[in-house]
Amino acid sequence: MIFTLPQIIKQSAKLYPDKDAFRYGNTAITYGELSIKMNQLANLLISLGIKKGDRIGIFMGRSLETAIALYGISNAGAVFVPLDPQAPLSRTHFLINDCDIKCLITNSAQKRTLKSVLADPLSLKNIIGIEDNWPVESYSWTTVFENQSKEDPNINILEKDLAYIMYTSGTTGQPKGIMHTHYSGLSYAKLSKALYNVNPNDRVGNHSPLHFDISTFGYFTTPLASATTVIVSEAHTKMPASLSQLIEKEQLSIWYSVPLALTQLLHKGLLEEKNMTSLRWVLYGGEPFPPKHLKQLMGLWSQAQFSNVYGPAEVNQCTFYTIPKNFDETQSIPLGAIWDNTEMLILDQEDQIVKQGEQGELLIRSATMMQGYWKQKALSQKGFYKMEASAESPIEKIFYRTGDLVRQDENRNLLFMGRKDRQIKTRGYRVELDEIETALLRHAAIQSVGVFPVKDEEYGQLIGAAIVLKDQHKLEEKEIRNHLSNFLPWYAIPGQLFFLDEIPRTSAGKVNHKLLQKQSINLT
Amino acid sequence: MNEILIKYIQEHLLSSSDIELTSEDDLLGSGLVDSMGMVKLIAFIEQEFNLTVPPQDMVIENFMTISYIENYLEQRKQA
Repeated sequence: MIFTLPQIIKQSAKLYPDKDAFRYGNTAITYGELSIKMNQLANLLISLGIKKGDRIGIFMGRSLETAIALYGISNAGAVFVPLDPQAPLSRTHFLINDCDIKCLITNSAQKRTLKSVLADPLSLKNIIGIEDNWPVESYSWTTVFENQSKEDPNINILEKDLAYIMYTSGTTGQPKGIMHTHYSGLSYAKLSKALYNVNPNDRVGNHSPLHFDISTFGYFTTPLASATTVIVSEAHTKMPASLSQLIEKEQLSIWYSVPLALTQLLHKGLLEEKNMTSLRWVLYGGEPFPPKHLKQLMGLWSQAQFSNVYGPAEVNQCTFYTIPKNFDETQSIPLGAIWDNTEMLILDQEDQIVKQGEQGELLIRSATMMQGYWKQKALSQKGFYKMEASAESPIEKIFYRTGDLVRQDENRNLLFMGRKDRQIKTRGYRVELDEIETALLRHAAIQSVGVFPVKDEEYGQLIGAAIVLKDQHKLEEKEIRNHLSNFLPWYAIPGQLFFLDEIPRTSAGKVNHKLLQKQSINLT
Repeated sequence: MNEILIKYIQEHLLSSSDIELTSEDDLLGSGLVDSMGMVKLIAFIEQEFNLTVPPQDMVIENFMTISYIENYLEQRKQA
């Protein structure tokens, strides 16, 4: 029986030692190799004094080493924290500090970025993945694989132990860390493996970077099924024609990404001439798929099933919906029904259950649910809803408040109706608009701001910002973008900036975001 | 050609103005330029050099570095 994440690899290494676990470009790692290399990394970490529960950062882009890092850290009993190497330096430093990270696992591609990170090493004591003349001790991958024991360190890990922390946009201007245990991560892998019938013959296209929760399918579910994950390179995600070549060449059978990755291929007409009949299941998540484009894609890949995957990173996944071939493209696509081992509530503003068919906030209780936000007790409490023990239910039940407004249609499928707060999805990424406002207001020349979503045919939602400058101040758009890039990831930087004399306000004196959104259509 | 491309990327696409860019830098894999940035860069090339980049030419082999882009533009000129 397996109950921790590293046991996924140990099990598949016994069953299929010579099978490719992960592929990247022209390189690959088998389950046998991965089970040895993860032990070697774990042994080095332990020799450096890393203890159970310590946080270790994974600081690299899409690569084979991400898999070794993730499983090596877990097998040492430590907690892995995916960091985005393209994030602004201040954000990286915040995460290192927030999680008290002692060691970063990286690879040679990050040399330039790491140099600036290490200008202030904070709690860092070690770098693994590049050896260099740095203020902290460093070890190359070669020395790890040459010098470390291949034996399993056999750390006593419980399923309820913390396994990983994934950061997401926070409203206060700082990101928040979602804490998952081996149990919640593995529960997701087991449920998704069963639902999509992932088997050892599958070849799964993983388009997401490790710090984006969609990647758990490629990193946890595929190996649990002893199948092969093909890690799509950064370059392929930017060059559509190369991406379509990759799907064909790697004979992918399952694809999972945000809709944008697929609509880009579709719009450029890059799919018609390729043989992609190997695809049997296409999963998308992160944001809605424009129905018109989905219909076109389903026509081209008629042999494949298509499913909408929904679930905030706090619960991994919680609903599924397989799209009927003859769906009505004038309607938006449902989130679907909740999946196994999961319970839901739809509550109104007074936390009362809404009548059947009425709109309310979706709350989820599931095996795949997080433990809370790292070091944020108040925020965690706010995010959970506790249903006290009662005569009907002798145990207390804890639900996660998704903040998503839904209603159930006549077929009991959930429909997405909007957000309770100011969180949006842009290109699949989750962004808190208030965080952008906070970042803008940190500029000395900016008086007041209003940040709002802008509808876009291809990208779904983009971001607009209305800005009022202080008297006697001048600012160029470029200066503002440079300023924001110090605090925000690239996808959170507003594409459209508007300079106004005054920000419209509601009668209560709050920024009138709805009006700004309306006006922005006339301003462009 | 080289300078025009470097200037455009440095001024419009890089997140930080103090990154020194060379013709051999990997624009795609290193995260120097994001996917929206590549769309902008291709649009700029089309306008600046008065040509159309067909979708099937949008491959890593043509756009990974500035010198790859130069090679691609040379080929296009000769064709």
